[in-house]
Amino acid sequence: MKLFIRKNSIILITLAVLIVLFTAAERGMGSKDFLITMLRGFSLGSVTFLVASGFSLIFGLLDVLNLAQGTFYMMGAYIGWTAYVRPDTFVDIITPLALIISGFTLGSVWTHISNTQHINLKVRKILPWGLILVSILLFVLIIPKYPIAIWNLDNYALSPVTYSFMADQGTRIPVTPAVFEKISPTIAIVGLLFASILGAFGISLFKHPVQTQSKLKMKNFVPFIIVLGIGLVGYFFNDGITNFLSGLDTIWLFLIAALVAALSGAGLGALTETLFIRPLYSRPIYQLMLTLGLSAIGMEIVQVIWGRNEFVMPRPSIFQTTGSACPATSFSSWLQTHCSTVLLLNARVRVYDEIFIPLVGIIVLVAVWILLKRTRLGMIIRAGVQDREMVEALGINVRSVFTLVFAIGVGLATFGGALAAPSTGLSNAMGESLLLAALIALAIGGLTSYPGAALGALLVGLIQMFVIKYGQIGITIPFTHIVFKPTPPIVPASTVLLMVIVLLILPGGLLGKRE
Amino acid sequence: MDNILEVQGIHSYIKQYHILQGVDVRVPYGSITALLGRNGAGKTTTLKSILGLVSVRSGKIIFEGNEVQGMAPFDIAAMGIGFVPEHRAIFRDLTVEENLKLAERKRGDYSRKSDLIFDLFPDLQKFLTLPGTSLSGGQQQMLAIARAMIADNRLLLIDEPSEGLAPVIIERMISVIRQLSQTSTVVLVEQNFLVASQLAEYYVIIEEGRSVKAGTMKELKEDKAAIHHYLGAA
Repeated sequence: MKLFIRKNSIILITLAVLIVLFTAAERGMGSKDFLITMLRGFSLGSVTFLVASGFSLIFGLLDVLNLAQGTFYMMGAYIGWTAYVRPDTFVDIITPLALIISGFTLGSVWTHISNTQHINLKVRKILPWGLILVSILLFVLIIPKYPIAIWNLDNYALSPVTYSFMADQGTRIPVTPAVFEKISPTIAIVGLLFASILGAFGISLFKHPVQTQSKLKMKNFVPFIIVLGIGLVGYFFNDGITNFLSGLDTIWLFLIAALVAALSGAGLGALTETLFIRPLYSRPIYQLMLTLGLSAIGMEIVQVIWGRNEFVMPRPSIFQTTGSACPATSFSSWLQTHCSTVLLLNARVRVYDEIFIPLVGIIVLVAVWILLKRTRLGMIIRAGVQDREMVEALGINVRSVFTLVFAIGVGLATFGGALAAPSTGLSNAMGESLLLAALIALAIGGLTSYPGAALGALLVGLIQMFVIKYGQIGITIPFTHIVFKPTPPIVPASTVLLMVIVLLILPGGLLGKRE
Repeated sequence: MDNILEVQGIHSYIKQYHILQGVDVRVPYGSITALLGRNGAGKTTTLKSILGLVSVRSGKIIFEGNEVQGMAPFDIAAMGIGFVPEHRAIFRDLTVEENLKLAERKRGDYSRKSDLIFDLFPDLQKFLTLPGTSLSGGQQQMLAIARAMIADNRLLLIDEPSEGLAPVIIERMISVIRQLSQTSTVVLVEQNFLVASQLAEYYVIIEEGRSVKAGTMKELKEDKAAIHHYLGAA
């Protein structure tokens, strides 16, 4: 009997939780409320999962607890919002950003030059600093003058809040396109390119030269040409792209925005890993402090750019229609009416929040699962979680895999932010509660277990939504007539309580490895 | 150049500890060379230093004429060195097949080598889809060796292949390593002098982080005093 309990404890606990939920629902709420609360739980669980899965991937392979994950989630929402509500700003940023990155995509070329050109030792010590200084100087001179059409935080009529509000009403405030006034476009473009190349070359000179026989191939220039090409296309076709994006149906624009958020997150993640985390692999406490610091800095940056006010992100139009035909009575009729709500067992279910988000959560779950189980990268990740040294001894560049995993992990969080924004709205604090929820989900699921992260996130989402619901309708405590209404602070507390219970029974979490 | 690997007076550190304090190893092409010595003498650290898994502060490591000290472990391994570590280091979350496929350095390495490997280790073929750690100790050792064979490695570093194995399986292991040495050079760390003396043509004795004696195994087998003094074996 004992053995049976121990062997099946995961299933038993999950079952027990479900039974409690179901009986609670039976006693407290009708099937309508129950269904909606379940779906909301799935929805919150999905968003939590996007943050937690990145957490789990990063923690599993790199042993880094990335406490900035919540801030990255929030940044994802703001970046997604920008591409969605202000496509012109987004297009304006492409060119300078691509130019700034371009020099760094020539990494292998710089290494080659620094390896093959024999530079005097003294010069070698001074030169990189000189190059970097010139590069920074150029950036500082050019970037503030580079014209980017952006909202104005000081003018309410032109603030993000207003743009969001108007976009939610279905109208776009006409924007005045940015023009080159303070600087000539040629100087700006050539200057940024030059600064980027100097900076990247300077940084590469810090590395000690190694003897190599490798020759420069066309291949080494391909990323540079692509990035530069994107930058130039962004410059020459600025108006065209802006008009195209503004004219797109909002669902396409939204998908682009989510993709942009995910990619920027991946970029930010890769940057964070190479710049900050990499020098600290032997000092885990410093990493923890660092990610905490980054999280605070990220928050400040968001406040400076997008302001402190909360605002909404309109849902894509196919989830937004209202009218006499709404709510849709079935999914087939929803496909024609695109109502914002649909009737499911007589309950009004919001299509975006309660159906679309969980659906995307499941798609991401499966996609990452396939990545882990069916690809070589996944194989390296699974092996690296156990024994990094042996993976390296097989001739696999684990460092670059680390960067990639960090990028994927952060990309998942920013994608989650963009996905959740139309449902939750945007605020500077949106990352904090989610960070806590994701950490708890991870602890419940078993720290490095990927399915554990999914299960934990789902449970955390469900319990929060049920507690919120009972806060509204009250719950009769069994065998008494006392009606208990959980107050809002109990919502996060309930997740902690769940974690405590699970960890008391299973110290390794639900699906954690038992050592 | 008649040595595939030359280790010249290396000093290695693990954290602040000065583990290797002058180790020289010369490995002729196509040979089996055994690193001998008591527990904790620095044999495993020597292997790890060659691969760059332990930081080498001074001295030179020359593989096929290229200095490799200070390079990243994956770059050194990718030059053509296979590693079979102590305790095998089989990946438990990977199946037997995935353990093998992970070692591919070029696409198709696995399918090219699989016939050869399953000829040598028919057991592995039966358990391809099982997790790597569901195998017995001997089978795990075979898997670890097979994994080092997947890529075209010209040098194999094998650490304690006989450790914890039954005598019958040790016999198999010896014949397998002999077969391997026909296509690649082998450096072997072995506690069991009987095994080492059957396999190796050359030896290096390491004591307290220094290489103290080297030569051909033939000479050593006759030098009972040295065996007794350095290895404690009768």
